Amino acid sequence: MSQFLYLIPALTVLIGALVLMFMSMYEKFTVKNFIVVSSLFLLIALGFTLSDVGNSYSVQPYEHFLSNVLTFDTFSNFFNILLIAGTLLTLLIGEHYFQHRSYFKGEFFSILLFALFGMMVLAHANELVTAYIALEIASFSVYIMVGYNTEDSKRVEAIFKYLVLGSFIGAFYLLGVVLVYGATQSTNLADISAFILTASSDDMILVYIGLTLILFTFLFKVAAFPFQSWVLDVYRGAPMVITAYMASTFKIAIFSFFLRAILAYFAPIIDFWDSIIAVIIVLTLVFGTWLAITQQIVKRMLAASSIVHTGYLLLAFIALGYKDGQIINIDSAYATMFYLIAYLLSALGTFGLASHIMSETNVRVTYDDFKGLAHERPFLAAMMTIFLFSLAGIPSTIGFIGKFYVFTEAINAGYTGLTIVAIFATIVSVYYYFKLIAVMYFYPAPLTCSIEGFNDKRVSTYAIAFVAILTVLGGIGSAIVFFIPSMNIDAIINLTQVAVQSLFIK
Amino acid sequence: MSSDILSFIIFLPAVVAFGLMITTRDVNTIRNIAFLTTTVILAMVLKIYIEFVPSAGMQFVTNVPWIETYGINYYVGLDGFSLTILLMIAILIPTSYLLLWEGKTKGYWINMLLVQTGVTGTLLSLDVVLFYFFWEVMLLPVFLLIGLYGFGNKVFTTIKVTVYTMVGSLLMFIAILYLGVAYHNEFGVWSFAYDKLMQITTIPYDTRVWLFLAFLTAFAIKIPIFPLHTWIMETYKNAPTGAVFLLSSIMAKLGVYAIVRFMIPIFPEIYVEFSTWFVAIGLFGLIYFGIAALMQDDIKRMFAYSSASHLSFISAGIFSLNSYGINGALYLIIAHAIATGALFLLVGLMQEQTGFKTIKDLGGIAKKAPIFTFIFAIMLFANVGLPGTNGFVSELLIIFGIYEFNHTLGYIGALTVIIGAAYMLWMFQRAILQDRPEGAPELTMRDLKVKEIIGLIPWVILVFLMGLYPEIFINKFEPTVTHYLNDILHIGASK
Repeated sequence: MSQFLYLIPALTVLIGALVLMFMSMYEKFTVKNFIVVSSLFLLIALGFTLSDVGNSYSVQPYEHFLSNVLTFDTFSNFFNILLIAGTLLTLLIGEHYFQHRSYFKGEFFSILLFALFGMMVLAHANELVTAYIALEIASFSVYIMVGYNTEDSKRVEAIFKYLVLGSFIGAFYLLGVVLVYGATQSTNLADISAFILTASSDDMILVYIGLTLILFTFLFKVAAFPFQSWVLDVYRGAPMVITAYMASTFKIAIFSFFLRAILAYFAPIIDFWDSIIAVIIVLTLVFGTWLAITQQIVKRMLAASSIVHTGYLLLAFIALGYKDGQIINIDSAYATMFYLIAYLLSALGTFGLASHIMSETNVRVTYDDFKGLAHERPFLAAMMTIFLFSLAGIPSTIGFIGKFYVFTEAINAGYTGLTIVAIFATIVSVYYYFKLIAVMYFYPAPLTCSIEGFNDKRVSTYAIAFVAILTVLGGIGSAIVFFIPSMNIDAIINLTQVAVQSLFIK
Repeated sequence: MSSDILSFIIFLPAVVAFGLMITTRDVNTIRNIAFLTTTVILAMVLKIYIEFVPSAGMQFVTNVPWIETYGINYYVGLDGFSLTILLMIAILIPTSYLLLWEGKTKGYWINMLLVQTGVTGTLLSLDVVLFYFFWEVMLLPVFLLIGLYGFGNKVFTTIKVTVYTMVGSLLMFIAILYLGVAYHNEFGVWSFAYDKLMQITTIPYDTRVWLFLAFLTAFAIKIPIFPLHTWIMETYKNAPTGAVFLLSSIMAKLGVYAIVRFMIPIFPEIYVEFSTWFVAIGLFGLIYFGIAALMQDDIKRMFAYSSASHLSFISAGIFSLNSYGINGALYLIIAHAIATGALFLLVGLMQEQTGFKTIKDLGGIAKKAPIFTFIFAIMLFANVGLPGTNGFVSELLIIFGIYEFNHTLGYIGALTVIIGAAYMLWMFQRAILQDRPEGAPELTMRDLKVKEIIGLIPWVILVFLMGLYPEIFINKFEPTVTHYLNDILHIGASK
């Protein structure tokens, strides 16, 4: 029974997805009912994951049934909390949007929970094929959700681009798995890891090639440089809420698996990819920045800037090193995880707030459409400002602390040059984020599109306000203002430390 | 409590500002509450000023962990140097409220309060990351002030000034991180406190020069030092009076302050080595901006250049490596803040009343507004450095300092002060004293109100008090300067 407890969060989400699927067969349920039911399941799952916070454990339950393909440890629990919380917040922030778009039917919420289930399994996976299946469950759910926007002609382009490119890169992954299997006779990460430690360099060639192909999948999914071309169009064509979901939550899921693989299993050979990733980081930062400043549509600008944020994340990733039988700069793993949280909050906030504003109309997509927002709805504009500050890394927001951790670790690992490139990307990012703030505050509202009777008192607004409060609290901590040490910024980084340490429990 | 009084001073304006944000009171109530807040702070600063012991180094220190993982502390405290500037800020801000009293909106006052938290936090933080935190945060309310209440092409100006200062700040940020990492590698623990970073010995010379330059870029942009001044003309011209006052009187001084607080202790030998260059650049800036000021017709732009010119002089004094120069520079910081602050506020008032922006449109102010002209003249003379005013004492000290540093540069420095007198007095003659030509449009200008006079009286008193009895102020910060020269730079205080 005690082993079963570990499975409950993922199973709750799965059952929730199935329940919603059955519910969607009945006409009488409204969108509101679906939101309530899915939130309920997510809350239960979140409750179970939160009950394990602070414990350090690592188990592989039901060996005969699951054949050690899933690991349940503090690390996966940490990511499950983020994923569930991200989905829940997406759902609540999107409440307004969902209700004003006729194409959101019941099965949408079922798909959303299936996507979450896939991501959660991905966070647990310690076997390449299982990871692939989990990744594809999540990816296919997202493909469907991207195409939901029947009112937008861009959606066909978005879904096809994403589906075709995604499947193509999936083939790379499978080829990589085959090559690795050819060398090691196993797809279980633990066996591969054992093989790497003992193999001669000739045996390793296939492993290197295979793992590089798998790395490409990773880079594709997080939209790093040569594989970033899908991002703009897919983010543009997808419903706004789904864009928020992809930018924040899906990215975390991808990182959860690859961080696990690298930290716990492939650590001895991670320095092999350093030069490749260094080049990729520079190009990702430069190209993402260039894309971001040239965009006129806010959604595309945010999409492009998410490429830049991928660059920052990879910067922390590359800072990991291996020397004399142990990982050096393990702190940069904490930095990566912290940055993921910071980006989750800020991206969810920005995309979610944009979706909230444009829920009842189809305007507010170019910079011009944001004109005068501060005069019409000062609180929403203030929260948008907080999120944009966080994305730009302005102090007093969680984004600054995230950047602080990432850049410090990168310099600590000796990548000062890369950090300087990242700093320049940050400088430019100040320009395109502040441009939006300036537009919101410094121009009068155009008379044509002032929306009468916009209802601010709804779930979406409160959910966004909650995220905004977290963003600020994460940036200043509580010790400095309220003199409560227990709720400090360190609390999060300590959780990531416990999570990473649980990877090494044998 | 006594050790938390600094935190109280830092955060009270922000707390009040957030409180005011959610009230629905009218703008007058909000302004009165804001004004009351600043006077409460002034009272507390005076209390500190009296309790402060000049010879005792850092005082009123609060040092509690903030981000423990990286050894970043909430570390605030003050010495004679920051105390003097703190007093200056505490006096200038409430009196500036009196001059900005009418016709502002709620957002204006809230932003003014937030700025105060930013600047006092910047001034008092002794941890470099905490300093960076406040350094960036103090920019944001000014960003909003310019964008919301500015004139002309304000949006472009706002973006330009933000990105410009952000370039410097982020370069400094990377230097800060590098220093922190170097400290961690050398001592095995994380710390970003400035007195800890002073102990680093492992960074090679070339890298130290780059770090020094990265810090300097951030501060030179804020001050501004030639050639990083290109943002100020537009900004001072398009920004509302309050923002110009904050930028020129207070934030620019914080740039100079930061050089002394962080750069001198962390890079003493590079500071000494490059000092000739920076004195020369400072004097060049003094001449360049002075000549540029002579050419201006827009009165705010003229003052922008004049302010830049004086700040170049201050930075020349800071780099002169002896106690005359540094004391003089610190003294000029205060003197210039008072004089320029008052002048910008008075010019703002004049523009608001007359609607004219250029010197050639003005004229005949003296007849319409005698008290205005009188106070304007006092501030102008203080700015030019007439004997008896605080400007004289400080400029004399700096010239002594530069002379002792290098005789040739000293002569140049002494001569260049004339340029300052030239543009200031010429402007005064044309814009204020001269009668209006025949057929010029009617000038609408009122004289100062009682409230505004009350606001300006402390400044006028300070101008003369500091000009006639400098030692009561210098005694508060001189031990700090001597400590810097003897114990940090090891070149001895030549007095």
